[in-house]
This record gives sequence, C-alpha cells and structure tokens, in this order.
Amino acid sequence: MVARAKAGMHKKDMLKDHGHVLGLRDINVEIKKGEITVIMGLSGSGKSTLIRHLNRLIDPTAGEVIVNGTDIMKLDRAQLLQLRRTQMSMVFQKFALLPHETVLKNTGMACSVRGEDRVKTDETARKWLARIGLAGAEQMYPHQLSGGMQQRVGLARALTSNSELMLMDEAYSALDPLIRSSMQDLLLELQKDLQKTVVFITHDLDEALKLADHLVILKDGEIVQQGEPQNILLNPADPYIEDFVSDINRARVLRVRSVMETTGTDDDGYEVLEGDENLEQAILRSGGAADKAFAVHSEGKRVGTLRMTDVLKALVPSAARNPTAF
Amino acid sequence: MNDLLAKAGGGTDQTEALPFPSLDVLHKACGAIPRTRDMTAALERFFLDVKDPVKFVLDPLTQPLSWALRNAIDVMQSLPWWAAILILVAVAQFAGRRVGVTVFVLASFLVLAFIDHFGYAMQTLAIILVCTVICVLFGVPIGIAMSRSDRMERWLTPFLDMLQTLPTFVYLIPLIFLFSITEPKLYGIAIILYAIVPSIRLTNLGIRLVDRDVLEAADAFGMTSRQKLYRVELPLALPNIMAGINQTIMLSLSMVVIASLVSAPGLGTLVLRGINKLELGVGLVAGLGIVLLAVILDRVSRAALQRVNKMHQPRA
Repeated sequence: MVARAKAGMHKKDMLKDHGHVLGLRDINVEIKKGEITVIMGLSGSGKSTLIRHLNRLIDPTAGEVIVNGTDIMKLDRAQLLQLRRTQMSMVFQKFALLPHETVLKNTGMACSVRGEDRVKTDETARKWLARIGLAGAEQMYPHQLSGGMQQRVGLARALTSNSELMLMDEAYSALDPLIRSSMQDLLLELQKDLQKTVVFITHDLDEALKLADHLVILKDGEIVQQGEPQNILLNPADPYIEDFVSDINRARVLRVRSVMETTGTDDDGYEVLEGDENLEQAILRSGGAADKAFAVHSEGKRVGTLRMTDVLKALVPSAARNPTAF
Repeated sequence: MNDLLAKAGGGTDQTEALPFPSLDVLHKACGAIPRTRDMTAALERFFLDVKDPVKFVLDPLTQPLSWALRNAIDVMQSLPWWAAILILVAVAQFAGRRVGVTVFVLASFLVLAFIDHFGYAMQTLAIILVCTVICVLFGVPIGIAMSRSDRMERWLTPFLDMLQTLPTFVYLIPLIFLFSITEPKLYGIAIILYAIVPSIRLTNLGIRLVDRDVLEAADAFGMTSRQKLYRVELPLALPNIMAGINQTIMLSLSMVVIASLVSAPGLGTLVLRGINKLELGVGLVAGLGIVLLAVILDRVSRAALQRVNKMHQPRA
C-alpha cells in the first residue's frame, strides 16, 4: 500500500479499490524556527493527522520527521517522552484540560509531569496566567470558565512548558468569532516577544492569512501550495486555491509591500506609506483617486513605489494573477 | 374436522413414541452410558477429590479474611453504644457532608438501639465493612487491568456475568465443602465473590469512558502511563468507581442475609429464625432493620458520590 501511495495513486481510488484511507502523502514542509507555520485545509484533508505526526501521537507509515536535526521516528519510548516533555507543547481544539484540577495546576501540568519543584511551577504558571489575562482565576476549575477562557488556560499551559515548538490543533475553531479574533491577536502579540516556533492548524482561511508567516494548503492529503500567504493570494497555483481565496477581502489581507514595484528608490515627492499596511489603508489615503502613487517605506527606508492602478488590479483575483488581462 | 384432530393427536403420539435421546433414556438402551444422576455424582466425586489440594492452597490464603472478619465483629461489638454511634455518625458526616443524611443516620441507629437490634446491626455492618474494603482492594485493580486489555475484558465478562446471575445459594455449596462452617471466611468469600462484580465492571467502564481528548493531551505533554493512571484516568473515572462501590455495598448487604445460612452473624440470623420457627414478628422487624441499614449505607455512599460528581461537573 505504501508503494502504491508513493506511486501516486489517488486517495479516492485507494479507498475504492483497496479499502485503505490515504492520510497524507509527500508532505515536505520546512517549519522555520520562530515563525508561525499555518497548515490549512478543509476537513478530511489530513491536517490533524499531520500535526499529530509531529509529536507522534499518530505514527506515520513511512517517512521522517526531523526536529532539530534528529529523526524522531527513530526515537525509543523514553526519548519520545523526553521530546514531548521538553521540546513540544500542544493546544487542543477541545481544550482538553483536566476537569478535576484547578486552573493553576492545569497550567503547570507540563512542569509537574517533568517532576519539577511545585512552588517554582506554581510561580511560573501564575506568571503566564497573568500574561494572558487570567490573573485571579488560578483557583477556579475549568468548568467554571467560558470556552475562550478555557482556551487561554490551554495556551498558558503550553507556554508554561517553555518548549520551543508549539503545536496548535484547530486551537480557536471552537470559539466564537469575536473571541477567536482576540485570541489571534493575543497569539500574534505573544509571538512578537517570544518567537516560538508555532505550527497552527486551521480550516479558516481568514485565520490562516492573519497568523501565517508560512502557509501550507492541504487537499486530500497532499500539499497544493505552500509559501508566504501574500504570495499565495497573488499567485494561486491552481483553480482549487483560486476558488478558495476568491471570497477573501483582499484589500484587508494584502499588504502594500506585496503589491508595490520595487523601483523608485530616490525621493520623488510621493506620500509615504508603511510596507506592512494593507491595501485598505492605501485606498483610504488615496481618497479614491486611481492615478495616485505612494512611496513605500519599511523601517524608515524607501523600499518601493505603490501605484493605485496596481492596487486595483490586485483586488481582482484573475487580474492579479495575469496582469495582461487588463 | 375429526380427521384433522386425529392428525394433530397423532402428531403428539409420535413425539412420545420418539423420546429425546437424553442420558437416562440412552442408559436404558445401553448400560455403558451413564445416567444423569451418575453425572452429578461424578461432579461431586471430582469435587471431593480436588477438595484437599485446593483447600491446602486456599486455606492459608484466605486465613486473613477470617481474621479480619472475626476482629471486625469483635471490635464493633465491644465498643460502647454511644461510642459506636458517635463514630458512625462522624463517618457519615465525613463521607457525605450532608447534614440531612447525618441526622437520618443518627436517628436510624438510635431506633435500632431502642428496639435492641443494635448489636446485630453492628455485626452485619462489620461484615459489610470488611467485605467492601476487600472488594475495592481487589476490584479496582482488576478493573484497571480489564480496561487496559480488550482480550481480558472479553474473557472476564462472561465470568462476571456468571458471578452475578448464579443463584446466591449456589455460591455456598462448594464453599461448604471447602471450609469448615464455623469459619467466617466461608461467608466472607461468598459475599466478596458476589459483591466484587460492580467494582470491577464500573472501574473498567469508568476508565474506558475517560475523555479521549484529555488522554491525548496527557500524551502530548509526555505523561508516562503511570502518571496518566493517577493523574488522569483514576480521577476522571472516580464518579463511576464510586458508583461501583455503592453497588458493592448494597450487594454485600443482600448477600450477608443469605450468608446467615452458613453462620454469618447479624440481622440475617434473626430473619432466618423468623423463617425457621415461623416467628413472623422477629423476621419482619429484622428485615425492616436490614432495610434501614441499606438506606443508611446507600444514602451515605450516594452523598459521597454526589460530592465527587460536583467536582467533576462537565464543562457547562
């Protein structure tokens, strides 16, 4: 079956002809240190399986998972436990807190599993709870908290473990939109300070685009496209992705630096716009004038020129991919 | 019509003419085939043959049970009435933390003492206490082992079914052969065999029902299987385990009455006297005493269960 999968048999054919479910095939993702890698796909695309391969909650049938240079498929049980205890932490869709332990004990779970000093563990847990805005809830039980607060505890638990790699399995999918958005902001804000390596699974494209430094799109157990989210949005690799990104509010997601021309380094008297601002800002500043241009700056330096005509083209998916259509 | 009736009658005639080939019928035809009564006799002979070696092994193993039962009964009876009631009420309050239940326990024991049944009730309570402790001590680990292995569950389940459905008197028969009727372990074993089943079953069930997501989280954070057992599985299964213990207590109580046939002391002996000598009043009052005891045990263990449940309330 592995050979057939390697030969490229399609998931549907394999299920029909052999009764095997192809989970994932040919997944080569490089997860860079300090970045948020978002793995996105619809249900059944294999994203939850993929994240569980990373800490071997599910063992892949074939292949390697290399973490900091070691292939974790070759680890024995004790080494695997050690890896899970020290290098990885995980946040779950359904929170998965211990219902009989207080928020404080739940938060310190990773440390107490490692057998660390109780007083010190509580201290660290308190610190992280305060950091994510749950100070005062230490002695409560999970069922006394709302879903959003429970997931904050889940996040604090992962942070308290002080591991480099954080796996987040549809961590925000069970939350309502407003809370989800504030949790996304929290993650981005934490990420600015901590620079953890985060693998984030989601089925929500808006969430993926908001969080991702590196976006991987899965379909039927295979990678359809991966790369910088702006790039995927501007150059979708196939009709599936094109279709996928067509409902997105492009003006809000696309950033000035992705659409600008990298020419015009000298001062030409244009108004200055930050490269990280989105196109909505640019349109607002232009006052609707289609013939305007901006000087794009990043960290105080001129990096390019933004013409409003390019902005308008970028807002239409097929025009962005194929500029000669106009 | 007559023809039809004759035909129908003829049918029954024919079945009588062709008897079922049972052992007794076959024996008539051929003497070498044993009769049914030979079979039961052979079973009895087999039992007598293996009795000595089995006894040689089981006797010392079960001796602590006799010792525990004897001492428990002695201790419970030697306590002055006020001390016994005080301790029992304190235990009820500690386990249940419910004032209503505690007051009910106090009133019940006062009533039992007032009608001179307190000593008997204490004997019964002592037996139940010892047997329940042993049931939990063995039942919970067996239940844990059962939850770990599907094969063990498959093999144990019919055995547990048998223990629960076997008529309670049948337990006593082989035990009477094995042990002297004066020894407390005779009825101790019968009670334990009967009452241990829910402890095993509900521990198994409780652990199997533990939330997969929480177990996955435990795995993801690198818990060893021992850490998982003590920190996740047992605490999350506790409501079910407590329900099993409640059932175990109730079953020991029902068995302790039957065990009075083989010299178990307590309220059961009074019921037995009521039956044997047709002393209706004695039997009825003792029976009501048992009901009172059952209600006490049930309420207290249930209050304890509810207390645990409250802590485990699922997410709202």
